[in-house]
Amino acid sequence: MVKGGILLKGGIKMPTLELKVERLERLLGKKLNIKDLEYDLQWIGLDLESINEKENKIKVEYSPNRPDFSSPEGIARTLKGYYELELGAPIYKVNPGSLEINVDPVVNKVRPFIVGGVIRNIDLDEDEVATLMNIQEDLHWALGRDRKKVAIGVHDLDKIVPPYLYTAVKPDSCKFRALQLEHFELTPAEILEEHPKGIKYAHILEGKEVYPIIFDKNNEVISFPPIINGILTMVTDDTKNLFIDITGTDFRAINYTLNILSTTLSDMGAKIESVKVNYNEDGRQIITPDLKLMKWTVSKKYINDYIGVNLSETEMIKCFQKVRFNAKPSGEKGKIDIWVPAFRVDIMHEVDFVEECAIGYGYFNLPTTIREGCIGEFHPFQDYCNKIRKIMIGAQYLEVVNFMLTNSERHYNFMKREYNLKDHIQILNPKSKELDTTRTHLLPVLMENLLFNRSEEKPIKIFEVGEIIELDLSTETGARQELHLAAASYHENSNFTEIRSLLDHLTISLGINEKIKVIPTNSPTYIEGRVGKILYNDESIGIIGEINPEVILNFNLEFPVAALEVNINKFPGKQLI
Amino acid sequence: MGIKLRQNVLEILKTLQEKNIECDASELAKELKIDYIILMSAVNDLDKVKLGGFKEKSIDYLYLTDEGLNYLKKGLPSRQLINYLVKNKIKEISIAELKDKSELNDKSFYRAIQNLRHNKWIATSKATGENKVYIIADDFPTTELEIFLKTFEKKPFNDKSKLSKKEVELIGTLNKRNLIRREKRTQRLIFLTPEGKKIDVRKIEILKEFSKITSQMLTSGEWKNIDLKPFNVSISGPRIHAGKIHPLINIINEIREIFLSMGFTEIKGPIVESAFFNFDALFQPQDHPAREMQDTFYLNNPKQSKLPERERVEAVKATHENGGDCGSIGWGYDWSYDIAKKVVLRTHTTATTCRRLAQFYRENEKPPVKVFSIDKVFRNERLDHSHLAEFMQIEGIVIDENVTLCDLRGLLTEFYRKMGFPKIITRPSFFPYTEPSLEIAVYSEKFGEWLEMGGSGIFRPEVTYPWGIKDPTRVLAWGLGLERLAMLKYRRGDIRDLYRNPLKWLREVSY
Repeated sequence: MVKGGILLKGGIKMPTLELKVERLERLLGKKLNIKDLEYDLQWIGLDLESINEKENKIKVEYSPNRPDFSSPEGIARTLKGYYELELGAPIYKVNPGSLEINVDPVVNKVRPFIVGGVIRNIDLDEDEVATLMNIQEDLHWALGRDRKKVAIGVHDLDKIVPPYLYTAVKPDSCKFRALQLEHFELTPAEILEEHPKGIKYAHILEGKEVYPIIFDKNNEVISFPPIINGILTMVTDDTKNLFIDITGTDFRAINYTLNILSTTLSDMGAKIESVKVNYNEDGRQIITPDLKLMKWTVSKKYINDYIGVNLSETEMIKCFQKVRFNAKPSGEKGKIDIWVPAFRVDIMHEVDFVEECAIGYGYFNLPTTIREGCIGEFHPFQDYCNKIRKIMIGAQYLEVVNFMLTNSERHYNFMKREYNLKDHIQILNPKSKELDTTRTHLLPVLMENLLFNRSEEKPIKIFEVGEIIELDLSTETGARQELHLAAASYHENSNFTEIRSLLDHLTISLGINEKIKVIPTNSPTYIEGRVGKILYNDESIGIIGEINPEVILNFNLEFPVAALEVNINKFPGKQLI
Repeated sequence: MGIKLRQNVLEILKTLQEKNIECDASELAKELKIDYIILMSAVNDLDKVKLGGFKEKSIDYLYLTDEGLNYLKKGLPSRQLINYLVKNKIKEISIAELKDKSELNDKSFYRAIQNLRHNKWIATSKATGENKVYIIADDFPTTELEIFLKTFEKKPFNDKSKLSKKEVELIGTLNKRNLIRREKRTQRLIFLTPEGKKIDVRKIEILKEFSKITSQMLTSGEWKNIDLKPFNVSISGPRIHAGKIHPLINIINEIREIFLSMGFTEIKGPIVESAFFNFDALFQPQDHPAREMQDTFYLNNPKQSKLPERERVEAVKATHENGGDCGSIGWGYDWSYDIAKKVVLRTHTTATTCRRLAQFYRENEKPPVKVFSIDKVFRNERLDHSHLAEFMQIEGIVIDENVTLCDLRGLLTEFYRKMGFPKIITRPSFFPYTEPSLEIAVYSEKFGEWLEMGGSGIFRPEVTYPWGIKDPTRVLAWGLGLERLAMLKYRRGDIRDLYRNPLKWLREVSY
């Protein structure tokens, strides 16, 4: 988690892929040295996860915006450009087919879109079968949002009779045998309750009155997307031709998925054949897979300016060809026409060509330039914290730094403080049930530090200067941060006088001693008669005293504790954010 | 050759001659009521004139465990039970009830019952159908084990103590019950050399040597006539427990200085953040996996945040739906206000930098603007030795006209050079809100390898256009995690240590 790159990765998990060097060699038609390959892969955006020289395998991470990297075939395409074995967009042929899918408008209520494709003459080896399984899983995850947005069905074409009908039915209006539970006929409703895949993905169909089904001409169930296929079209070793259905809620995403799948199968030697999808609602017919290249026109100056280089038109065109785009000078002066292959799903804006050009040029070839200007300043708040730290270490207190997440039981009950969760930050979904709120005070966490260190040599004198969070519905996000200082002294003879001296040292050093008063008060956390409220300009900013023995015992400690906690937000002219 | 010794050294020599055995240094110091350090410096003096010395031995000491200490205070479990029965004048009681009333766990309770029966203090019977305890003795004298346990109050035993057969047996019993533990300690034994043993102390001249200068010596001028005892300057002094800055704060301050030296201004932002600034304004689609509950802390209280000014919200909405005015095709879905209003603990400080873009727009600022933040972020993770649910991010951005990818590389080279990494490589990478993106690896001389040390890029137009930051004004950004840096610098294996504050480490850490 604390990888260097975590920051901008925004917590995104990176999918991984194992590459057998021999298979890559076959795909590239070129001998590869595993060490060179390791070096080269980073320049096309693949992150090395591990290298196994003995078995001649490399495991890489690829970015979720490049689902076309989910197979060795996909990576080989890009590597061919990198090694200049092939330049420009790879060519895929789609033979016109006659298969038709009719779409009943009722599917708009549950899963409005379907596209399909036919793949003929498949002859896959063991590795390729594994890749096909793997790529489906990755696409379901990366483009499909775990089947919610996109679901893939792969079928034995020769077992069903076209045309197919994509429709939606009442949950218990038909019965069929589903894969993995092939001995019973079940209704879609029963599948959601009993079938392992049904149970896992039932949430996608929750609350829907009709469920999507694909029938063949004989009313046999081909598939119940996005849950499970019928047994009828199960793919076996004897399967020669495939029908692929992709259903979903996002038309763009299902097409991308089909494109990646069919181009990969084509790279494995199969033939792609198109399917006609008839949307009965408006009489629209679309033909898929549509592997037409997408045309963009980009400005040469824009790209040069963005990168900070001055590439000629020819050089720039070569860069694009190396990342497997077609490119040539546009009719318009200073512009370049670019054709993007249909398996590239990550091109949304002209700026995306900036990166592609830089990758084609090689990041390692880019110069480094320095821009000057600006006068820096520290945040006054951090400066103030550092000032207080210096004062505290001068008083021989050791700094501690604690988490902001905490547990309400320890934070309040152990301190004998009453609380009402509705007055505090409440976390909805913590993975560690322990962490249910954020701290409002520092002293409880200092008590935990004492507990953790109770067998260390005494005296133990610690302090923390840090932020706490208060619920404050008047602010934009419903909360406000404040800066606190807390200190605790733990040893046989710790007492009020000792901690009072510390407070005086602090306020004298900050130059606010005259504005500080301490008056008697009551607090269940502290011992009666040995606790004072700290006033700054007659406004309460904190509390100081000897900790109640009950609290000391709650934290399993065995010596007295003298402590103070002040809100230093209130000190002159310092306001947090 | 005349030997000269200080008076107190002479006294110690006399005592050692009288004892005529090797003495444990700390016990002797106690016996003579002098400081350990003074004793050892005297021994040092004896060593110099070859009359004595000391040797070190590693010795196993026996201490009571926490449980043992507890029984020392409250009595052994069997005594606790008897005390309860006697105090409440109970002659018979069901085992279940007695168990209930006692504070003992199952194991200790049943062992205590067994021991009480063995002592013939109680009997147990099921005669009434219920398993009951009956008191059968009239008095309950202190047992050998209890007497022995008491001896631990005074001092620990060690494996050199002369133990009777009985005591060895009792130690065995305590050990079996996990009431004692062994700990190795170094013992210093003081001895006299053969010369030391036979030398006639009356023939030794007394050295008038002082260990310290008093105020009186200074004012009277007496200091000129005295011999000051030399110190052994080679040995370490005793440890002091000074105040110290926490190691994380130390690194944070070093990095703040680097940013400042490069002209960056420090900013802060809210930890409790709206999904709008944490995700939407950074062009993360609302169905993006990173936004899911399993990765992000959503809040139940507060439940909703207020969105910023309407026209900016609309600009962000349009960017998601169709690209808005930035030339993008957008994500192509219906953007929801409610999802954007959700409240999270910020998952990255980029939420704060994004607020800085909003400020740039609102205050109609002119570029360049260079800011940084080093602050807390949160991820919904279970804690273990390599995972935290909250950690610190270091992040910097530059808003400027005509800034380029090459400028970004220059900036990174300079930043990491100042951090002590003169060799860096930047390679293609992907982050949802930057394009182009790059990943930084630095070469560590200390570890002899390349380390991934941050991510970087130029903010996408989809992120900057809604705040009026339009080409050729662009925003360079980079960031890295603080904890990884700290773990490498301080060589800690368990990331939780950074926030658990083990005093042993904090007291001895070198920055």
